[in-house]
Amino acid sequence: MKLKKRYSFSSLATLLITSAVLLFSIVIFFVFVTLYQKEMEKNAIVNTEQAVAQAGAAVTNYTEEMLTTMRLFRDVYKNGLPVDGSKIAAYMELNPAVVVVGCYDREGNLLDSVAKGKRKENPLKDLSYLGWDVYSDGQIHISKPHTESLVENEYPWVVSIAQNIKTAQNQEITVVLDIQFSGVAKYIDNVGIGQHGYCFITDDAGNIVYHPQQQLLYSGVKQENTALISSGKKGSFVQEQKIYHLLPLNNSHWQIVGVSYTEELVTANVRSLIFVLLLLFAIVIVTAVVCGTLLSRTISKPINSLINAMREFEKNTENFSYKVTRGSNEVMALSESFAQMVKRIQELMEKVRNEEITLRKTELKALQAQINPHFLYNTLDAISWLCEEERNKDAAQMVNALAKLFRISISKGHELIPIQKEVEHAKSYLMIENFRYKNQFTYRFDVQSSCLSYLCNKITLQPIIENAIYHGLNRMVDEGEIVVRIFEDGEDIVFTVEDNGVGMTAEQCTAILKKEPGDKAGIGIKNVNDRIKIYFGDKYGLTIDSALDEGTRVTIRMPKVEGE
Amino acid sequence: MRRKQRILYGICLLLLLVFVVAGCSGMHTPAKHSVAVITKSTNSDFWKAVQAGANAAGSEYNLDVIFEGPDTEEDYKTQNDLIRKAALSGAEVIVLSAIDFNKNAAAVNEAAAMGVKIVVIDSNVNSDAVLCRIGTDDYEAGQKAAQAALACTESKLHVGIVNFDKNTENGQSREKGFRDAIKKDARVESVTTINVVSSIENAQSGTIKLLQEHPEINVLVTFNEWTSLGVGWAVRTLKLNDTLRVVAFDSNPVTLGMLETGEVDALVVQKPYAMGYLSVETASRLILGHNIPEDTIYTGATLVTRENMYDPEIQQVLFPLQ
Repeated sequence: MKLKKRYSFSSLATLLITSAVLLFSIVIFFVFVTLYQKEMEKNAIVNTEQAVAQAGAAVTNYTEEMLTTMRLFRDVYKNGLPVDGSKIAAYMELNPAVVVVGCYDREGNLLDSVAKGKRKENPLKDLSYLGWDVYSDGQIHISKPHTESLVENEYPWVVSIAQNIKTAQNQEITVVLDIQFSGVAKYIDNVGIGQHGYCFITDDAGNIVYHPQQQLLYSGVKQENTALISSGKKGSFVQEQKIYHLLPLNNSHWQIVGVSYTEELVTANVRSLIFVLLLLFAIVIVTAVVCGTLLSRTISKPINSLINAMREFEKNTENFSYKVTRGSNEVMALSESFAQMVKRIQELMEKVRNEEITLRKTELKALQAQINPHFLYNTLDAISWLCEEERNKDAAQMVNALAKLFRISISKGHELIPIQKEVEHAKSYLMIENFRYKNQFTYRFDVQSSCLSYLCNKITLQPIIENAIYHGLNRMVDEGEIVVRIFEDGEDIVFTVEDNGVGMTAEQCTAILKKEPGDKAGIGIKNVNDRIKIYFGDKYGLTIDSALDEGTRVTIRMPKVEGE
Repeated sequence: MRRKQRILYGICLLLLLVFVVAGCSGMHTPAKHSVAVITKSTNSDFWKAVQAGANAAGSEYNLDVIFEGPDTEEDYKTQNDLIRKAALSGAEVIVLSAIDFNKNAAAVNEAAAMGVKIVVIDSNVNSDAVLCRIGTDDYEAGQKAAQAALACTESKLHVGIVNFDKNTENGQSREKGFRDAIKKDARVESVTTINVVSSIENAQSGTIKLLQEHPEINVLVTFNEWTSLGVGWAVRTLKLNDTLRVVAFDSNPVTLGMLETGEVDALVVQKPYAMGYLSVETASRLILGHNIPEDTIYTGATLVTRENMYDPEIQQVLFPLQ
């Protein structure tokens, strides 16, 4: 029971295996997730950079085209005013993105203009021309996108490209081209980085030039973190769970900003990886638990049964029978050894018992063979005395009794004799002793006749009667009496020998049962008791009840043993 | 010990189950959810901007956006059919701009009973099933129109209102906002309202008739894109550019041209792109089971005059980049 309260081998093994696997899994998990996350972050940044680079290339292309177109128209204007209208019309046909072409003088007066649709007669405002000073460096300028303000009932978004030139007539004019912005806008709108990432265009100062959701920005539904972009950072950086990548364009003052979401490009992937890993680990751990349990069971189960078998063996050594348990080789070997041991121990025990019985028998036989010399001498003396008095009849009786006594004592070497014989033996002995003690006591037998055919150990009654005469009646003044009873008691047969002699103390009673017989005494009471116990077990044997000056009763109990 | 082991096994199995379920749901990419946007019509610039906004949000939130509407802005029957069709074809959210406050209610309730979530934009419907309303604060837009109408120097004002269908909720709210605001001005002598069918021709002929019957009218107000165009054309026909102060709605390019040339003096411009975008964004929240922050979202309206129409911010509002 104590063992159970401690850790059993089975659960300990399971626990160890499981925790080892668990620990290993956790370590792998964290290492893997960390590595994966880093890799994904790198990936996300690379993705963003690639998308931005593509958008940048497209926008650069677009501006390059615009510049080429500008040069085309500019060269027409360089020939001087009035401009060749058919050439302009032909070029506009070739470049459908051009909405308005015009030229202005130093004061900003519109000298000439061609529009795709109907030109407004009195435009409310002219958003295409920003003023002479802006273009004074002679370079090509690209404006921010704005709505076309010069065409009737049409408001397309355009960028104005302007340059100050000198015509062939040495006139200084500004050529302005309004080119539709929708091409770039569409391209930028369609740039996707992941599911929600996007690109937009800002100028050097971080002002938004074009944003796919600029309507939402202007209506205040959304905000863009332009402060971050104008802070002068370049390249890639991560802020507020967004990856930003800034790419300045080399042929304009614009830069492309790519925005992607770490949540979507990194976190979501990492999360699904975590899910998969957890799933795998759960399977691994469950497998480990099952394997651990199975493994430990294959070892612990046979060991437990071995332990139980040993306990059983402790309790019931004699009748224990052991079957070899199945299991691993080691356990089988252990089990086989135990089985061998059990067999050996039982054999040894059996041997010891047999040897003990043999020893007792030998001893008994030696004792039986031994004739108490005093008894024989006294009896023979009495017989001789009877002969001298010519009481031949009595002498013959005595000799007969003595002969019977010896014959039954020997009984052809059998240990068990019929109770009838035992009774005769006791009667012969009592007859001789009664004669010798000159009828100082009387005796009687009270024997159930149904008992006579059962067997009993020979010379069971005689030592007890002897004891009753020598220690009980011998020292009495009054006439003594000995009563021998034999009766059935259930499955047992009970013998009692009662005398009304001086009796014994309780100490004497127990001492008698322990005393080894001396030389004088024949077969002692102890010997009788030992023999019965050897033959029939501890349940049976001899008990003594005695009271001083009242008498002694010796009770012998033994099982019914049928004769052959 | 046995029982402990059994409990251990139980925990293991439970863990396994949880992980499997979680793993599956984690790896599972859901099918595209569908949102039906049903508007009053599909051909005006206003509704085109709504569509552009809805599509932008649709691609951002990975939703299928179906955009439909009847041909005329009076056809509530077709609208009801479209609502039923959308509900049957498995739309999870219907974004509706109701033509008729009451007559669209039954179809909306039917759809809601089928488990469709209802979001209303621009103009409301008489139903408890509506989870969120997104649009212009019509009363406030009416007041903005009044503010523009009153920004003149005349000492006596005779106001004419050309409104559309009486059963449409937003038109009535705008008129109420307008009327409540001009009541406070002592210069207002009279207010006359006509209701016309929401089309350019009807509005134009109605306006001409109104101006002929009431020549004293010097301030004219109208409340949507089509009636604005009708009023503008009427003013152009009657050549009343300079004598009549006209306040109109929304940013049709033709109306903008009239703003430049003087037929129209001020425009109350709504934000249809934001409406479309926010409606689909709200639909996405509803589909994902998230809370929606408010059950009414006002997108606001901007007052545009000849003076500010080319300001960069106003450009963004007036001229959506197509």
